[in-house]
Amino acid sequence: MTTGLGATMVRAGRRLLSSLPALFGVLVFTFLLMRVLPGDPAVFFASGPNAGKEEIELIRKQMGLDKSVPEQLVFYLSDIGHGNLGRSMMTGQPVLKDLRERLPASLELTFTALLIALIAAVPLGVIAALRPGSVVDHGVRLFCALGVCVPTFVSGLLLIYVFYYLLGLAPDPTGRIDVFTSLPPQRTGFLSIDFLLAGDFEGWWAACKQLILPAVSMALFVIAPLARITRASMLVSLGSDFVRTARSVGLSWRKVVVTYALRNAILPVITIAGIVFSTMLGANVLVEKVFSWPGVASYALDALLSSDYAPVQGFVLLMASLFVLVNLVVDICYGIADPRVSIE
Amino acid sequence: MRFVSFRPATSVLATAAMLLIATAPSRAQTRAETLRYVTGASVNTLDPNIPGSTRESFALSMSTYDRLVAFGRKQLNGKWVFDLDTITGELAESYEVSPDGLKLTFRLRKDAKFQDGSPVTAEDVKWSLDRCVTAPILGKAQLLTGSLTSADQFKVIDPLTIEVTLPKPDKLALPNLATVYPMIINSKVAKEHATADDPWATAWLKEHTAGSGAYVVESFKPGEQIIVKRNEDWNRGSANKPAFFKRVIVQSVPEPATRANLVERGDADLVLDLQASDVQSLEAKGKLKVVSTPQYNAITFVSMNNQIPPFDNVNVRRAVAYALPYEDMFKAALFGRGTPLFGATWADGKPANGIYPFQQPVKLDLDKAREYLKAAGLPEGFSTTFSFNVGQASTAEPMAALVKESLGKIGIKVDIQKLPDAQMSTQINEKKLPFYTEGIVAWLPSTDYFYRNFYTGNQRWNYSSINNPDLAAIAQEARFEPDKAKYEEAGRKLNAMHFDLMPQIMLWQPNQDAVMAPSIEGYTYEFHRQVDYRDVSRK
Repeated sequence: MTTGLGATMVRAGRRLLSSLPALFGVLVFTFLLMRVLPGDPAVFFASGPNAGKEEIELIRKQMGLDKSVPEQLVFYLSDIGHGNLGRSMMTGQPVLKDLRERLPASLELTFTALLIALIAAVPLGVIAALRPGSVVDHGVRLFCALGVCVPTFVSGLLLIYVFYYLLGLAPDPTGRIDVFTSLPPQRTGFLSIDFLLAGDFEGWWAACKQLILPAVSMALFVIAPLARITRASMLVSLGSDFVRTARSVGLSWRKVVVTYALRNAILPVITIAGIVFSTMLGANVLVEKVFSWPGVASYALDALLSSDYAPVQGFVLLMASLFVLVNLVVDICYGIADPRVSIE
Repeated sequence: MRFVSFRPATSVLATAAMLLIATAPSRAQTRAETLRYVTGASVNTLDPNIPGSTRESFALSMSTYDRLVAFGRKQLNGKWVFDLDTITGELAESYEVSPDGLKLTFRLRKDAKFQDGSPVTAEDVKWSLDRCVTAPILGKAQLLTGSLTSADQFKVIDPLTIEVTLPKPDKLALPNLATVYPMIINSKVAKEHATADDPWATAWLKEHTAGSGAYVVESFKPGEQIIVKRNEDWNRGSANKPAFFKRVIVQSVPEPATRANLVERGDADLVLDLQASDVQSLEAKGKLKVVSTPQYNAITFVSMNNQIPPFDNVNVRRAVAYALPYEDMFKAALFGRGTPLFGATWADGKPANGIYPFQQPVKLDLDKAREYLKAAGLPEGFSTTFSFNVGQASTAEPMAALVKESLGKIGIKVDIQKLPDAQMSTQINEKKLPFYTEGIVAWLPSTDYFYRNFYTGNQRWNYSSINNPDLAAIAQEARFEPDKAKYEEAGRKLNAMHFDLMPQIMLWQPNQDAVMAPSIEGYTYEFHRQVDYRDVSRK
């Protein structure tokens, strides 16, 4: 067991190392891409009523844009080496600080949404697979189609309209916590965990209430791929020899479906969940906007619109690193779900 | 034993119950004394002088810092707006302009104190104004428009008197001192944080305040929210009282529909920058107070680059001016919420007055447009692109579609181009866009200021890239014209030239729609187009 775990760790470490060149490539590519894009951040930020040439030059100098691109790249890489991602013109803060404050918000939202999606999607997929072609199967298909058809910001606005505006059940959709609630001491950055650690259950409930609507509107969108893949993979698994054998020897329904069929069907679901997670983290910008969620995606979008280089580069680097990590976690999960799989 | 242990328990319960009763009304009280103001963008620096600072930062600094003087307010069609012509003392108890207009003398209030309790002295004022004209910050370009360019112009006479000298009697010198940038900073505190590289403490002041203003920053989360609490000692307001609200929460809510929901549900007290459609429906419901003020210092244009063919031909520009479906555009883009700058009737063919912006006698007249195209030698029309930025898509998109449709009728084929904001401003700066829509804002709206800044020189704000020496000369001369009648005459001339040359087409002045809880009073349209927290109170 210990050797198995040790081997997994070594393999994980090797994989991390092998992903470094890819990360470096992403870094350089984003850097060049931002410079190639038409749009001069200096002109944009010098948009005060009297900003003229002088101000534009000033900002260019502040952002280091007065130097040649190769020079800029060298400075940028050496800054990254020192753990400095630059400063955002938009918020006026160091990018690292901005990302550190905003990433937990995005992660908390995405984890919750993924959890809700999995809890809903896996049983739905299994039920649909058990009775293919039945009313239940079609019902699940309809539900999934609806979830995918409705863009997240539409479902978000609808949920706000019903639960906040009409019914008054949900708190106002303005960020992670009601403005009048005091924050717990920051430990993990995940408010729902920080409140629990501080023993403040009222605050915890307030934070959870803020989380529910955005998480549900994100989950609705990803239930479909998860449920469909569960169904497809369950169908294969249920039709396979070992399930037939298990049935024929008279094992209980539960044992057949959950222990044998589902366990074997879960691998593709884990893969998809990993991909869905990475996509959600970067693509939940609309939900973040609608719910004023202070996450990284809306931060990056604002930065991109105003050609604020440092935050966009920092964001892409962060996403690439997370993607590497998520893939690693998925691979490790494989090993747990199916011991025959080993990552190389 | 049991008896003893029982008693503290009951007393604890009783105290808790009493506390609950006592805190319940006080919490409600706090809410009534708190202003929750939701905005689209967010405060990004505590010093508005930092390049890139947002309008929200401007508004914040009005409350955290004082200036020497402030604008008064007046009623315009029943709504309160800032008044450029009434300038009252803020930190100055009184001021005096010398008869030749070259010297401004300010007497400071004796009781004015910074938020750390130290008195405001003429030394602080000098340091702050020096900073504004010397440091590489936004104030420099602004104060230049009021002939304030060098630290030598500010002289300390005694601890409570400061004198400003001008090279020319500039009408805009005094109003400039009431704008956002020349705020008065506690120089002792700021100097402590100055470094050799940064002698004006710009880095420190970006994240800290050292002012004498009506509000003290309590917590600041860039990009999310800022909470300020009242400075109880501040007495620069109307009746020598501190500001009304004990706390102000300024929160960024990017989605306009969510902002509308918040104010309608009563969770937010005040909101600006809603979508025109939302404002209209909120106004129709009648539950909230909607104050719509034409932004009389802002204009939306359809601009044509006068240097790029075919727009270098005045007849092409005139043709476009008569081919725009103004009424439809006004309704589609703004739901008619604004002041139109088209459709005037000039009985004698001359401008009615010398005020800019003005209503031009243009309207949709396709026959006239075709004639002008023929006169330009382009009877078959031509192809061009019409650009607008993503940030303005909600108003510009429907407008662009109407422009395309209408110009198509006279043979001008239009491709609509939607550009990210930074890309749009870059291309405008580089003078690469032939035909586009953009807006402008002037803090100190006077006729010569508009013409000098938006119609002369090879610079970004000259959207139409017009290069007309006569126009530039008249505007430049008008700047220092002390005689009101002559100034008016110069204005008329400029307006007549504008209509004749048609460098760009003025469309309208959009309304600033402020939607607020019925209990909010005193809202005033300010030059920085945000709410001045000190203006508002609750009934």
